[in-house]
Amino acid sequence: MDKALYIGMSGAKQNMLSQRAHANNLANVSTTGFKRDFAQARSMPVFGEHHPTRAYAMSERPGTDLSAGALQDTGRKLDIAVDGEGWLAVQNQQGEEVFTRTGSLQVDVNGLVRLSSGEMVLGNGGPVALPPFDNVQIGSDGTISVVPVGGPPDQLVEVDRLKLVNPPREALEKGLEGFIQRKPDQAIDGPEPAVGDQRVVSGFLESSNVNAVEEMISNLQLSRQYEMQVKVMTTANENSEASARLLQNL
Amino acid sequence: MHPALWVSKTGLSAQDTNMATISNNLANVNTTGFKRDRAVFQDLLYQIDRQPGGLNTQNSELPSGLQLGTGVRIVGTAKQFSQGNLEVTEQPLDLAIDGRGFMQVLQPDGQIAYTRDGQFQLNSDGDIVSPSGYPLEPNINVPENASTITIGKDGTVTAITDDQSAPQNLGQITLVDFINPQGLQAIGNNLYKATNASGDPTEGEPGLSGLGSLEQGMVEASNVEVVEELVNMITTQRAYEMNSKVVSATDQMLQFITNNIG
Repeated sequence: MDKALYIGMSGAKQNMLSQRAHANNLANVSTTGFKRDFAQARSMPVFGEHHPTRAYAMSERPGTDLSAGALQDTGRKLDIAVDGEGWLAVQNQQGEEVFTRTGSLQVDVNGLVRLSSGEMVLGNGGPVALPPFDNVQIGSDGTISVVPVGGPPDQLVEVDRLKLVNPPREALEKGLEGFIQRKPDQAIDGPEPAVGDQRVVSGFLESSNVNAVEEMISNLQLSRQYEMQVKVMTTANENSEASARLLQNL
Repeated sequence: MHPALWVSKTGLSAQDTNMATISNNLANVNTTGFKRDRAVFQDLLYQIDRQPGGLNTQNSELPSGLQLGTGVRIVGTAKQFSQGNLEVTEQPLDLAIDGRGFMQVLQPDGQIAYTRDGQFQLNSDGDIVSPSGYPLEPNINVPENASTITIGKDGTVTAITDDQSAPQNLGQITLVDFINPQGLQAIGNNLYKATNASGDPTEGEPGLSGLGSLEQGMVEASNVEVVEELVNMITTQRAYEMNSKVVSATDQMLQFITNNIG
């Protein structure tokens, strides 16, 4: 059987995987704080005791684009966006510390500050809990102050400070839940150190950093590539039909 | 089947839900005391197709793996309890809350519901009732011969009756607040129900302990901002179109392979 058929098939299959990565980016074009994934293809030579004549294609996610998205004005006091580099530290369902730029904060019935998806937001000393308040203010350095229930509005009480971290970009990757975390080989002992000069803006959310046009073009390009791979498969099929015919006429 | 089809399908249905939220906001642009909703998007789980750091050959390691996302979903809608504009109506039984808090009405099933819609009226018994006919809680009865009703900022209701020159105290309107108003369940008719997420109501006198004050002769307008909703609608529509483009492109690919191979 002609090996070109398998090479074409692997190309088409890897095209489909890349397309799925781009489709996922496009599906998350409205997700607050979403970071788009890169997809790239790499040649994988076939190893073995023969002439290395063939190289299959392989799709992979070399990383995640950690650049900032546009800031969207919401006017809600508990919506925050991280200004510049850096991340907001939250605790995921498994109790691990992960990082996000999705700053739509909510206060649950026990006063704990959570993301809309339920993860607890971390402060200086663990999860942030707010006392019952009339008004809340998040300062540009992440300090949360409240006017306690019934308190005079000029007496803001400082409650906690959001934990803002800024690990080196090359040490980060996107985990399976969509949060950013340290790569296993870049892990450090203990919790991530908080950064003092990190800034946040209150009343804003960071929109997804997906460039919709770019994702669409990538998808179109991959569609065409896929068709070309199919063409290789058809040609391989035609070739083997031709040789079968020749053999029949012998 | 091509996985991008399912991923884009989640994008389409999330944008669909977002559009429903936006259109509900726009539909309620004139609803007294309405609080707008915002759909909250979240990316779905990622699947490891090839483990990063896995062995490629016996002595070479894959530098990066392939982790593919499975799409997006709307994790919830967040109600925005920002203050709406106060509109003057000059109706003596129209009430607006300036600040936090909710008024309480008694539903026919005996449960208390919470509202910021203050367009109250009198029923045939003289009780102050909401537009749906639910009496205020605690109930306030206005005598038949009352000529002027005054509701103070602190919720005290007084009336001057024809046979008495001194104002007569009819009762007190109290407000309640929740630690997490976003956790309230909207049940329609401008009413909310307390849930585990919202916490239990704490009752108090208007203007005290963090509660807003009552303004007579005013109603609170909807806090929907039309321009913002229209801009959201445009971005939602475009995002929908692009996701559906991926579906059709993927479909064409599948069509192409079935037509050309086999």
